[in-house]
Amino acid sequence: MGDTRLISNPQRMSGDEINPAAVAQAVEDVQGDDRWMSQHTRFVQECKDAEPEVLFIGDSMVQLMQQYEIWRELFSPLHALNFGIGGDTTCNVLWRLQNGELDNIRPKVTVVWVGTNNHEHSAEQVAGGILAIAQLLTSRLPKTKVVVLGLLARGDGPNPLREKNAAVNGFLRSWLPRLGQAQFLDVGAGFVHSDGTISTRDMFDFLHLTAAGYRAIAKPLSDLLLQILDETPEEKRASLV
Amino acid sequence: MLMHHIANASLTDKVMSSEDSNPAATPTPGVDTQGDGRWMSLHNHFVSNSKDKEPDVLFVGDSLVQLLYQFEVWRDLFSPLHALNFGVGGDATQHVLWRLSNGELGHISPKVVVLWVGTNNHGHTAEQICGGIMAIVQLIKDKLPKAYTLVLGVLPRGKMPNPLRERNAQVNKLVQEAVSSLPHASLLNVDPGFVHSDGSISHQDLYDYLHLTPQGYQAVCQPLHAHLKGLLEKQAEN
Repeated sequence: MGDTRLISNPQRMSGDEINPAAVAQAVEDVQGDDRWMSQHTRFVQECKDAEPEVLFIGDSMVQLMQQYEIWRELFSPLHALNFGIGGDTTCNVLWRLQNGELDNIRPKVTVVWVGTNNHEHSAEQVAGGILAIAQLLTSRLPKTKVVVLGLLARGDGPNPLREKNAAVNGFLRSWLPRLGQAQFLDVGAGFVHSDGTISTRDMFDFLHLTAAGYRAIAKPLSDLLLQILDETPEEKRASLV
Repeated sequence: MLMHHIANASLTDKVMSSEDSNPAATPTPGVDTQGDGRWMSLHNHFVSNSKDKEPDVLFVGDSLVQLLYQFEVWRDLFSPLHALNFGVGGDATQHVLWRLSNGELGHISPKVVVLWVGTNNHGHTAEQICGGIMAIVQLIKDKLPKAYTLVLGVLPRGKMPNPLRERNAQVNKLVQEAVSSLPHASLLNVDPGFVHSDGSISHQDLYDYLHLTPQGYQAVCQPLHAHLKGLLEKQAEN
């Protein structure tokens, strides 16, 4: 599925064109209050203070999760950090990871959830961007396991973005296992009803999850994280003076 | 310029809210730039959702309204008041104006409309944004003659001082002046003091320096709830 050369070099599409979804890029402050950079700066600071076992990185799907009770119940106890920023694309996440958000931390697991905002890119490009993120993580943190969450369906009824997100997931399903330390987790089951609709009880704006929606995805994710953490031997940490 | 506004408030309001001169006061539907039609889906959902409801309170506005519905504070404080939530993330005044003009007020007669919008009016001046808010206030009066409109002050945003904070503060000042003579509307400042003495806003209150955390909502909603209850009791007496 797709160009197998992408697996070794997701920055290049077939024909050796650069994959724009794998090009690191900061978000420009167009609104005037510099909030993206403020959030990034805060995350870099958190890396100095915290010793997370689990790192979540991605877009608003990651960010919003921390605002619900489910985060405190299931993920805080795992010593998880949340580096989600609303609106982020794979390019923005790549930039953040290359510019301080991995410094001084050694999480055992990194959860990546990004791609639904990559509106300028094709499904294959988006998958390549996510792959590039997974590769960056395993090269910077050789002992980390990477869990990539599948993109959820979106919109009230069937629409091109659902097809696109499903296609991204299809690429990831076949590419990620070849990375060894990365795996794909599909948490989207059940959101699309038999009539093709998504309920606002699960996604309050047909994109972002409600408390109930997060509860549904958090369980399989938390189970997987616990399993990985159980399997991972405790590292001897060099004493920090 | 500002003195002119105060002296000729009604004339200025007319000028500011006329469709030709103020984009913030020109009803404009959301555009589906992403490809899944969510804005219109939400609007249609609100219209059909209102057909069998009899809310006493309607909350309408942007993501600050929309997100409020997702947290416990809604169930604790506003469900008991029989409130409906028509918040849409990203909406500016012209979008709310369009939604209310195109069916969202069609089947309901709330006693109080809580309006919280303005922070997403990028590219508009404070005067234009005020004009947009006042156009919504006027529309609500036209469609629901007995309703009271409670406009919530636009919150400060950004980690440190920036032009949007100034713009939002100016919007609140202008709206306060504009509603001061109206019996059917008022402005409530719901900022409990989010800006610290060093000018910073904490992510514990606004997790991305724009959107409220559950803790932030608690601080905003306690006084709002008390004020709303007072308004509803007054409306009941009328």
